[in-house]
Amino acid sequence: MFDEPFRWTEAISARHGYVQEKLKKAYPVLAIPFNEGAFLMAIGPQSGKVYEVYDRIAMGAMGHPADIEKMRMTLLDMSHLEGFNRSVQDVVLGRLLQFGLAPALKQNFEEVMRAPYLVQMALVEVDGKGKAKFFRVNYDGHWETFTRGTVIGGDSKLTGFIEKQLKEIEFSTLPLEEALVKACKLWKEGMDKIESEENGIPGTMKKILEDWVLETAVLNYKTPRKSIVRALTDAEVDRLKVACEKL
Amino acid sequence: MKIIDNQLSTPGDFLELLQRSGYSLPSNNLEKTNKLDSSELIHGTTVLAFHFESGVIVAGDRRATAGNSIMYEHCDKVIPIDDYSVMAIAGAPATAFEMARVLSHNFEYYRRSQLQPLSAEGKIRALSRLLKENVGMAMQGVGAVSPIFALYDQEKGKPSIHFYDLLGAEFQITTHTVTGSGSPVVKGVLEYEDMWGAKRLSERNREEAAELAMRLLHTAAHFDTATGKARPEDNIYPIISFITSEGYQFMDDDEIAVIFEKSMKRHINV
Repeated sequence: MFDEPFRWTEAISARHGYVQEKLKKAYPVLAIPFNEGAFLMAIGPQSGKVYEVYDRIAMGAMGHPADIEKMRMTLLDMSHLEGFNRSVQDVVLGRLLQFGLAPALKQNFEEVMRAPYLVQMALVEVDGKGKAKFFRVNYDGHWETFTRGTVIGGDSKLTGFIEKQLKEIEFSTLPLEEALVKACKLWKEGMDKIESEENGIPGTMKKILEDWVLETAVLNYKTPRKSIVRALTDAEVDRLKVACEKL
Repeated sequence: MKIIDNQLSTPGDFLELLQRSGYSLPSNNLEKTNKLDSSELIHGTTVLAFHFESGVIVAGDRRATAGNSIMYEHCDKVIPIDDYSVMAIAGAPATAFEMARVLSHNFEYYRRSQLQPLSAEGKIRALSRLLKENVGMAMQGVGAVSPIFALYDQEKGKPSIHFYDLLGAEFQITTHTVTGSGSPVVKGVLEYEDMWGAKRLSERNREEAAELAMRLLHTAAHFDTATGKARPEDNIYPIISFITSEGYQFMDDDEIAVIFEKSMKRHINV
């Protein structure tokens, strides 16, 4: 079957279509800067999208839970071995992706007899001066970097809209609570771009936050701890719900 | 790098991950070791810990020695392991720092991979395991470590202090402990203060506890050459840390300078 180049190309093209179809209904994950670092945010009926990776690195992902878990454990193993064998300072997302995850994903995707990974990731890293770097990694190993934040999601109308907004809104000057409210607004406006019978969201933003799971990873470079990654506290989530009442 | 098939026999075990990557812990092959001569153990230091009103205080001097030589006066002997635990080290620095690094990665790897923190008992046993693995080195007199491990148990909502012997046996201390070459000088004073001092150790507030720790380390340095005195002119002070329900906090230099000045005032005119 694969002895002719065209058939291999056709098989790869079919894999793209298959994976994209599988990811189509995934709820988005936003990676956004604020004045003291960055945060990842996912809202959905189930948890399992946002994780801490290392002291200054967090990941957000959408796709099949087993594949997300494989990516997560691979990043965890690589970063902890690197941090132990060399230094915490040497655990840099660009290196983990370029020399670790991306080639492995590409190889897997192009081996057409193996099942492809159904996964897309948004990653964030904050340096000691508070500067955030954002990364988007595709199921085929292709990855991009961003400075103003990024988004992953199944629907291109939604991601296109949020990407455009990220270029216009100055998130990096906002304090955390204000940036979170704006991010929720952006999430809701993005979801509203999808046909209402397809997006499945349960009404207002307040209702969504009450009924669904909000997952966050906040990376604040001013945190006096080795690991600067944390989830929002219950009090912060309660304040966010109040602030989102009118959205 | 191949995407790892994460079928671990002990999920979240960083030591197992290290071993899979080719790292080996110090050999504990006793057949090749010499008989231990405890007088040859390197333990020039003073580190102490005691319960105070809001948690546990862990403090240590800053001097590192090799035989009769002072090698370094900025040594950090109280090392944060994770947000809720610190290890104070006495013994061979190379082994002690390595143990702290392994422990730190072990706890964080477990928390991140298993999506829950390692239990207090799990943390305490992890250090026992490292000490047990190190018995061979300790028996040869080149790698002995005598640590104090202090942590806050989030499950039970209380702090605890533990010390270990060279074989890895762990002992929980309900009041105070001290280790290193300066410990004989300090141990009796701590006991006296707890029994007959103005207040029991566990009733002292943060500032009172820090003042006492500062005085004890100063006293140890007076009698033990391997324990370093504070040198305010060079901005060198002991390390003082606290473990409370909010995790660990290290006293910053400005606060330590104030505590030092206050604690060194004598109450009796000579």
